Amino acid sequence: MAEDFSADGMLDMYLYENGQLLEQLEATTLEKKDADSFDEADINEFFRVMHTIKGSSGIMMFDDIMKLAHKLEDVFYFIRESKPDNVPHMELVEHIFQVSDFISAEFDKIRDGGDPDGDAKELIDELDVFLKKIKNEATEDGKELPPANVQEPPKQFYIAPVATENSKFYRIHIFYRADTQMSNLRAYTAVYSLKEIAEDILYKPEDIVTNEASADVILADGFQMMLQTQSSKEKIEKLIDGSGVEKIDITECTPDEYIKGFEAPVIVNNGKVIDLDSDVETIEARVQKEQEAKKSEEPKPGDYVIKTKEPGKPKQLAKTRKEKPAAQTFISVNVAKMDMLMDLIGEIVIAESVVLQNPDLKVPGLSLNNFNKAAAQLTKFTSELQDVIMSMRMMPLTNTFQKMNRIVFDASRKVGKNIELKMIGETTEVDKNIIEHISDPLMHMIRNSVDHGIEEKEERAAAGKPEKGVITLEAKNEGGKVFLSVSDDGKGMDPDKLFAKAKKSGLIPPEKTQSDYTRKEIYQFVTYPGFSTKEKVTELSGRGVGMDVVVKNIQSVGGQLDIDSELGKGTTMTLKIPLTLAIIEGIVMRVGESIFVIESGSIKEFLNVKESDMVYEPGGEEYVMIRGECFPVVRLSRKYHLEHAKEDVSDGIMILVEHEDKKMCVFVDHLIGGQEIVVKPIPSYIRKVPGLSGCTQLGDGSIALIIDVGGLLI
Amino acid sequence: MAEEIIKEDNPEEEDTQKGKYMTFKSGHEYFGIEIRYINEIIGMQSITAIPEVEPYIKGLINLRGKIIPVIDVRIRFNQEPFQYTDRTCIIIINVKSTVVGLIVETIAGVEQIDESDIEPPPTISTGSTKNKYVYGLGKTGNSVKLLLDPEKLIKDEDIAAFEEMTEQFYQKLKQVM
Repeated sequence: MAEDFSADGMLDMYLYENGQLLEQLEATTLEKKDADSFDEADINEFFRVMHTIKGSSGIMMFDDIMKLAHKLEDVFYFIRESKPDNVPHMELVEHIFQVSDFISAEFDKIRDGGDPDGDAKELIDELDVFLKKIKNEATEDGKELPPANVQEPPKQFYIAPVATENSKFYRIHIFYRADTQMSNLRAYTAVYSLKEIAEDILYKPEDIVTNEASADVILADGFQMMLQTQSSKEKIEKLIDGSGVEKIDITECTPDEYIKGFEAPVIVNNGKVIDLDSDVETIEARVQKEQEAKKSEEPKPGDYVIKTKEPGKPKQLAKTRKEKPAAQTFISVNVAKMDMLMDLIGEIVIAESVVLQNPDLKVPGLSLNNFNKAAAQLTKFTSELQDVIMSMRMMPLTNTFQKMNRIVFDASRKVGKNIELKMIGETTEVDKNIIEHISDPLMHMIRNSVDHGIEEKEERAAAGKPEKGVITLEAKNEGGKVFLSVSDDGKGMDPDKLFAKAKKSGLIPPEKTQSDYTRKEIYQFVTYPGFSTKEKVTELSGRGVGMDVVVKNIQSVGGQLDIDSELGKGTTMTLKIPLTLAIIEGIVMRVGESIFVIESGSIKEFLNVKESDMVYEPGGEEYVMIRGECFPVVRLSRKYHLEHAKEDVSDGIMILVEHEDKKMCVFVDHLIGGQEIVVKPIPSYIRKVPGLSGCTQLGDGSIALIIDVGGLLI
Repeated sequence: MAEEIIKEDNPEEEDTQKGKYMTFKSGHEYFGIEIRYINEIIGMQSITAIPEVEPYIKGLINLRGKIIPVIDVRIRFNQEPFQYTDRTCIIIINVKSTVVGLIVETIAGVEQIDESDIEPPPTISTGSTKNKYVYGLGKTGNSVKLLLDPEKLIKDEDIAAFEEMTEQFYQKLKQVM
């Protein structure tokens, strides 16, 4: 690769495109995992995915990925062509997953700047064995393959021409005048102009764009095309018509001749005699090898263009591939750019208020009618702009849920249980940052349900439950929060046992009895570090870690975990997480010369208290009596050593805040107002200050610090 | 050691920016920072103080929507604090993607200091902590500039230790997960 830059671009593109293909592959596989077999469309899709991955990995020279993709492609080729009816479906599904896992892992390595150094040999061997197995079973009389396949020319394997009844087949032979310059590019132009009407197109020589020497070949032998189209001969002629063309031969031919490609008249393909005796794989492999070799000789960025013209490719130039009906068009945007856009929009909003509230406008007697109209318009658009950028950060949970589907599949097979995952509300939209944070916790919860929640088959039968366990994953949007719940119809948790276990492992003080805790509090024990109800440690869970990590992760995005269970009926774990991290509704307040913000959600009420309501402890602790209840008081001015703050409680205002059932009062000088604020992290250069969770920019451009109520309580 | 780091850091810009130093005055001395660390120089801004941090961290400024911490160089060097005026400047530096503003009294200018004119600092410390950040003495004309290693300037030993701790914590967390 000549330039680092273009290589990077290619690499990004490679990772992105193939990553998407893999996701698509996994999704389809999961969807059909319970069916008896894949249908033809699926097989074709797998085939195409593997083929594309193989091709592009070849270009990027990731050999192991290429070989592995090639092997799986072989398997699907066989399945598609020979339609063996005894393919062990589950085994195939597992092979697909193994391959996609391997490739994903390699992609991760590449993404992190490493080399894809994984060894695919084992997987390839396994696939070989699998392929042999289905082959032998398919052709028990010893024949390797049905002979019908052998006759197919190697270049026609991938996508059979989309034959419709009206399709006509043409053989086109273009001769260029001997003095024509760059006849290869002219030939390419011809192919390009036919693209629109073509259902399928083949041409020879194939390397007209990469190989300049092909110009001589074209001049000597002419340029040949095989075209499948619904258009008439005249139209073709008109489209091709270009400078330098001496003669165009267009002959109609039968589909059979068409399938044979160029071999019929010229027998020689690329200077090699077609070996009709070898089985299809060998030929295919050879052709592939030649093409790959050709590609790796000249891995120019331009190869992306040529790639699609390769005869073996899905004929995207002729027919746009059918998209899934639900698919929307997306572009992927660098998150850094999104953040920049968001910052800029924030700036615009601030600049807007600077203009609209400019002191220069306050001159008495100024007529501002038109100005005010224009200003109102501007305000409308800027607020719309803000809404749009916010919605851009929201993503549906669909992908996260799909991943869970896979986890249930893997985990349930490992423990030998039959489990179905039901998904409700997967289109619920959540801020992208949050999605990143909840994926791991969800995974832990689901594994827990598979491993601990759902009982063994016999146990289920004895309890009169259907053999198939059901785990329900549900997402819903309620009051600015997202509720994500994982529930199973398993055995549920026994509070007595949990309590006994917690006591035994010393997680609770020995003097406490079970009646000191509510049922829900006892369930929360499972989130304590080092607590595992499973006697035996399994591969999936049971090491006593997991739930505590779940809780930590959830808390880091301001969420909560709620556990409920009924013995014998099942367990439900619910995550409550804020819709977005980026914007909160906050109350802005002043203490001394500093401005602070407290999230509205944690504020219970604002109070004016009298000196007589205060209780002072000798140690310096302060309390306030409100309606007969006593709350601790935190003075921000004292906690943070701020000067010029109000000392007398009757001058300032008390804010009663609540965090996870604990209440306290925060004393501030005065309130400025409520506002939607964009949360920004305090630069990591500054050490974390207890009680502060971030900062934000106010309308006048100044910075306010956001109080983390949970942090104040510690 | 400091020079080694600087060299391997940024090979392609060496030609145009090599030997150029942004110099500024703090107290009685002139200091120099290699120009490739400098993002920009801005006038004094309103600073939002952050409670409970090191005294030399004056707070946060809002630079076109970016929140940037600023440190007072004089306090960092254990010199007497000074009153900020309109001559006071903030030099925005970028050290390995950490963007920090340095509050300095006056900007002196950009000067070319050849490597041959740079001498290592005297090893005998006079009790001040200055030598930690000064990696060389640059002679220009008849004055001497103290050349600063910005990485050490913005990094506190405490912070380094703290970062190490968090790093270890995350490692552990990963193992556990």
